[in-house]
Amino acid sequence: MNTIIQNILVFSALGLALLFLVRKYIWSPKKKSTKACGGDDGCGCH
Amino acid sequence: MSKQINVALIGNPNTGKTSVFNALTGLNQKVGNYPGITVEKKEGICKLPRGVKAHIIDLPGTYSLNASSLDENVVIELLLNKNDKDYPDLAVVVSDVENLKRNLLLFTQIKDLKIPTILVINMSDRMAYKGISLDIDYLEQELKTKIALISTRKNKGINELKELITHYKELSTEPCLDASSIDESYFENLRKAFPNQLLYKLWLVITQDVNFGKTDRKTYDAVEDFKTKSKTDLKRLQQKETIKRYQFINETLKKGQTIDLNSAKDLRIKLDRILTHKVWGYLIFGAILLTIFQAIYDWSSIPMDFIDSSFASLSEWTKNTLPEGAFTNLLAEGIISGLGGIVIFIPQIAFLFLFISILEESGYMSRVVFLMDRIMRRFGLSGKSVVPLISGTACAIPAIMATRNIESWKERLITILVTPFTTCSARLPVYLIIIALVIPEGRILGLSYQALTLMLLYLIGFGAAVGSAWILNKILKIKSKSFFVVEMPNYKLPLFKNVALTVLEKTKAFVFGAGKIILAISIVLWFLASYGPGDNFNNADTIVTEQYASENLTEDELHQKIESHKLEHSFIGIAGHAIEPAIRPLGYDWKIGIAIVSSFAAREVFVGTLATIYSVGSDEEETIKNRMAGEVNPILGGPLFNFASGISLLLFYAFAMQCMSTLAVVKKETNSWKWPMYQLVIMSGFAYIVALVAYQVLK
Amino acid sequence: MTLAELKRGQQGIITDVSSVHIPLKLLEMGCLPGNLVELVQVAPFADPMYLNINGTHLAIRKETAIHIIIETAHE
Repeated sequence: MNTIIQNILVFSALGLALLFLVRKYIWSPKKKSTKACGGDDGCGCH
Repeated sequence: MSKQINVALIGNPNTGKTSVFNALTGLNQKVGNYPGITVEKKEGICKLPRGVKAHIIDLPGTYSLNASSLDENVVIELLLNKNDKDYPDLAVVVSDVENLKRNLLLFTQIKDLKIPTILVINMSDRMAYKGISLDIDYLEQELKTKIALISTRKNKGINELKELITHYKELSTEPCLDASSIDESYFENLRKAFPNQLLYKLWLVITQDVNFGKTDRKTYDAVEDFKTKSKTDLKRLQQKETIKRYQFINETLKKGQTIDLNSAKDLRIKLDRILTHKVWGYLIFGAILLTIFQAIYDWSSIPMDFIDSSFASLSEWTKNTLPEGAFTNLLAEGIISGLGGIVIFIPQIAFLFLFISILEESGYMSRVVFLMDRIMRRFGLSGKSVVPLISGTACAIPAIMATRNIESWKERLITILVTPFTTCSARLPVYLIIIALVIPEGRILGLSYQALTLMLLYLIGFGAAVGSAWILNKILKIKSKSFFVVEMPNYKLPLFKNVALTVLEKTKAFVFGAGKIILAISIVLWFLASYGPGDNFNNADTIVTEQYASENLTEDELHQKIESHKLEHSFIGIAGHAIEPAIRPLGYDWKIGIAIVSSFAAREVFVGTLATIYSVGSDEEETIKNRMAGEVNPILGGPLFNFASGISLLLFYAFAMQCMSTLAVVKKETNSWKWPMYQLVIMSGFAYIVALVAYQVLK
Repeated sequence: MTLAELKRGQQGIITDVSSVHIPLKLLEMGCLPGNLVELVQVAPFADPMYLNINGTHLAIRKETAIHIIIETAHE
C-alpha cells in the first residue's frame, strides 16, 4: 500500500515537471493568442 | 471596489523617476514585459488618502515624445492610445531641479496632449547647495499645472504628491504651446481634415513610427495621407517645435527660477577631474572591477558553505524520518538537492546585482561609457556597449535589451552578438564549484588564487567579446549612421531603498525563473537515474552479487557496487554513454556530459544535475563539493575533476552558447533567426575546440 | 570655428547647428543656437568630448562636434 502511494506521488511529480518543461521550451498553448506584436507584423518595433 | 486612478510616471532618464515610483508603491510593485516586446514594464499600486488607490506605471525614461528607440516608443504608444487599459487618467512628469529647463521640454509635450499633468520637481534637497530658488506659484500659473516639490532622498513631499494625485480632476488640461504655430498652413489643412482631433496628437502620429494596436488603427490610417512632407522637412519642423518649446520654457524660467551661482558648489567637477582622467580614470575603473570580484568571492563563501551543509543535513534528515520508498528518495535526492543547487547561489547573485546597481545609481556608469568609447570604437563597438557588457555579468538577457540606446545599428548588432561571451551569473555557479575543486587555496599579494582565477575567467569572457567584435566589425558590411550622445548625470549617493529593491527583484527573478527550471530538471533527472530498462538494471542485485561473490566484500562495499551498476544502466546512464565518445577527448565522463546537455536549459543546472546524479543511491550525508571531489575517472583513475579536466570545463563554459532564453531574446531584438543560429553554432563550436586543446595540452 | 576645436575649459556660444548631421535628440538636450557650451573634459585623443551645454552635461563624439558651429565668447 505504502509503496503504491509513493509511486503515484513520484509519477505525478515527474508528470508535473515534464509538463512545465514542455510548456516552457517546446510548445505553449497560450503563446499564440497573446502574440500581438513581433516578427514581421509591421508593428514598427525594429 | 472603487475605480483606481491610472497614473503614468514619465520623465527624463536620471531624474530619480524610479525613486519616486519606489516611494509611491513600496513593495507593491511587479515587473513584467509589454506584450510581444521585451521592454520592461514596471507597475505598482499606491494607497492614497481616503481609501483611494492609484495604479502606477513607471514608463521608460525619455527626453521627449520624439521616440528613437523601442523603449521610448512604449511611452508614446500608451499616451496616444485612449483605448489602452493603462491609458493614464493622470500623467506625473518627474523632473530634476538641477535640469529643470531640459526636463520641461517633455512636460510641455505631454501637456499639449491634454492629459491632466502634475509636475514633480525632485531632488529639492539640492536646491540650497546649488543656489537655486523657485517661484512655485508663478511656475504653476505659467505651466498651468500643480507642482510637487519633493525629495525622495530626504523623503519629503511624497504625501503632498499623493494628495495632488487624489485631486487630479481639478487639474487644467490647457496646452502650453499652440501646436499650429509650428507651421500655420500645414496645421490649418490638418484641422480641416480632422475637425474633431487634437492637432498635436495628429502631429505626433505623422512624425512618429508608432503602432496603435487594432482598435485605433482606423482613426489614424487616414492620417497617412498627410505625410505629404518629406522626411527632411518633417525633421526641420520638429527642430522648429523644439526651439519654440525652449523659447517658452526660457521665458517661464526667467521669472520662475533664480540661480545664485556664487552660492553654488560643484562636487561634480572635482570628482570628474579624477574619475574621467586619462590615467587615473582607467586605473580607478580597473580597481573597482577587481574589488567587485574579490568581494563576490570572499563575502559570499560563508553563507554558501552554510547553505550547502544545511541542505545536505536536510536531505539526510528526510531520508531517516519519512517512510522508506520511491517518493522519499525523490524528495531527498532529487528535490532537496535540486533546491540546494538554486539556493546556494543567492548570496553571489545578490552581491553582483548590489554592485551593478550601485554603479548605475551613482552615475559612475556614464563616466565609464565616456572613458571607454574611443577604445570600444576600435572594435566596432560603442562606449555604450560597456553597459551591456558589464550588466552581461549578471545576465545576457537584460544586457541585450540594454543595447537599445546604442544609436548605430551596426554597433548595436555587434554588441548583441558578442554580449553572451561575458560571464553571466549563470556561469558563476559552475565556475565556483570547479575552481574550488581544481585551483589550490593560497594567496598572492592578499588576493586568493581562486579569486584571481575567477577574475581571469571574467577577463577571458570580456576578451572573447571584444575580439569577436573586432572580427565582426571587419566582416559585417553594414552602413549605418553613428550618433553618440550620452548624458553625464550628477554624482549621487545611491539610495538604499532603490538598491535594495533592485537586488531583491533580481534575486527573486533568479530563484523563481531559473529556479523552477532547475527544480523540474532535477526531478526528471532523478527519475531517469533511478529507473532503467531491461535486466541489467532490474536484476542489478543478483548480477553484482554473483560477480563479486568470490571477493568477500563487506555489505557496504557491495551496496555501493550495486548502486553504481544501477546508475550505469539507468536511462540516464545509457544516454550518457551514448554521448561519451564526443566528450571523452575533453576529459569528461558521461555524468558531466549529461550535466552539459541539461545546461542548455539554463547553465546553473550543471551543478544541480551533478548533485542529483551523484546523490542517487548514496546514503551518506555529503555536500555537493565533496561528492564531486570524490569522483574517480573511470579510465585513468585519479580524481575526475583534476586540473586538466577542470580547466577544460571552465573554458567550455566560458565560450559555449548554452542559453535558450538568450537565443530567443537575440531573435526578438534582431528580428531574425539568422543571428542567434550563428551564435549557437560558432560559439559552441569554438568552445569545444578550446576545451579539447586545453585538456590535451594539460593532461 | 567648430565645437571640435574647443580646448578643455574653454567656453563658446553655439551659432549654427547642421540639421542634417545632428540628431534631434541632441537638440532636445539643449544643443541649440544661442546656448552656451563649455568643454568640461576630453577622453584620450580628444574624443569623445564631455560638454556642459546650458547646464546639461553630456558627451558626444568628435565626428558630431564638427557639425556644430560656435563662437568663442572672448579672446
